[in-house]
Amino acid sequence: MTVLREGTLYLTLPHGVQGRKFDDRNHGLSHCMKAVDFVVEEPDRVLFIEFKDPDHPHANPDDRKAFLEELLIGGKDDDLVRKYRDSFIYRWAENAAEKPISYCVLIAASRLDEAMLLARTEGLKRKLPAEGPASGAWQRQIVAGCSVFNLETWNRHLPQYPVARAAP
Amino acid sequence: MTITKIKFENFTAFKKLDIRPSPGINVLVGANGTGKTHLMKVAYAACDISKTQVDFAEKLIRVYLPSGRALGRLVKRHNVSTRGSAEVYRDTLKLRISFSNHSTVPDSATVTGAKKWTLSPIESVYIPVKEMLSNAPGFRSLYSQREVHFEEIYADILDRAYRPALRGPVDRDRKKLLTNLQKLIDGKVTIKDEEFFLRNKQGNLEFTLLAEGMRKLGLLWLLIQNGTLLNGSVLFWDEPETNLNPKLFGPLIEILFELQRMGVQVFLATHDYVILKEIDLRKKDGDKVLFHSLYRDDGTGEIQCHSTSEYLQIHPNAIAETFADLYNREVKRSLGEIAR
Repeated sequence: MTVLREGTLYLTLPHGVQGRKFDDRNHGLSHCMKAVDFVVEEPDRVLFIEFKDPDHPHANPDDRKAFLEELLIGGKDDDLVRKYRDSFIYRWAENAAEKPISYCVLIAASRLDEAMLLARTEGLKRKLPAEGPASGAWQRQIVAGCSVFNLETWNRHLPQYPVARAAP
Repeated sequence: MTITKIKFENFTAFKKLDIRPSPGINVLVGANGTGKTHLMKVAYAACDISKTQVDFAEKLIRVYLPSGRALGRLVKRHNVSTRGSAEVYRDTLKLRISFSNHSTVPDSATVTGAKKWTLSPIESVYIPVKEMLSNAPGFRSLYSQREVHFEEIYADILDRAYRPALRGPVDRDRKKLLTNLQKLIDGKVTIKDEEFFLRNKQGNLEFTLLAEGMRKLGLLWLLIQNGTLLNGSVLFWDEPETNLNPKLFGPLIEILFELQRMGVQVFLATHDYVILKEIDLRKKDGDKVLFHSLYRDDGTGEIQCHSTSEYLQIHPNAIAETFADLYNREVKRSLGEIAR
């Protein structure tokens, strides 16, 4: 069983599912490309996973507040979009962008309720973008789906990928 | 002296309820039919008679408008003869009314505490869901002369809106509030021959031509300008979100917080997530906010109330639950089989 770690958050993958930390030193292009935290391979699809951890036990309360305020007005969307698109291009260049990709973003902040998560999910879908142009020129989607979670909704909706916080 | 307790027994929708409001902002949430408006109307009627000295039973009839003006219809419906009661407290002052479901006239009710209650009058405003200012010309005279089937809150709000401006200089807090409102409505409100106008550089715009949300903000401007909303007043606002663009909710809630800081006790009933969240996000240290969640108990089916000062502890929260349902369905649609 593979366990992937980002700070104090641990993501456990189910048996038989491969996954790796994507934004580590093996990436090699971090000076010019952004990267999601993890790439997880299922037999017929891929998950790009990004963790943000404003509730980190050592987070400065002012920083936490500033992060959430920015997040709520969509100020973090561009960063999340860039991470997705750059990771997508990287994988395309690896010749590994054939399977549909879903983007799962965990914002570990207990103050985020479902209304805010819904608003951020919609914001991200618009900006990735999840749909091609109205002309119908796109023959395929660049993202199969995306959702923004807090820790509680992540574990509720994705119980096969449990995330837990360990002591720092 | 603010409202400190409201208590019901077999009154309208309530079997038994006891609510301790905050002296600051009180937010009533709950599904339709859980008595938010009923609760505010009783408290408003009690405040209003402290000034007008109208009989409490009579005022309740005018405010609720039960069929045939029969007071007994305000008793919670049972198959047997029942008495209903309502109590409103301001610290040690207590106003109580009780009556049977057979009461048809106000005289048959027992009202206690009214004498002391009216010795300490309190200013109050009830802003109903329906906007009234655009229908104002002639309405007051019609209402006073004829039996018009309108709850008295509609006539009362016009009485307050028509009050002339306070004499003397405007203090700094009120001036700031009025300036903020003027920015939102892009002008000031004037009254000519009982008709309300928005006055700005372009001239006078009659209220009937103004967006309904703007009329509500114009009303708030008038109530602050004419001194109805001052330290010690009580503001009741039923669904302030109605017909207002959500972008204006933030500035509106900021104004309510400023009023609260000036000493106005506020009650508002809402169905809107943005209103709730704006209150949560704009609350500063020292602000007094209490959320009252009205709900039907699963076991008894009776209305209960859970009060909390913390947004995240509002329970049950029908508004948030609706979003939770939307979110769950959105996750399932977005992620398909990945999401369980």
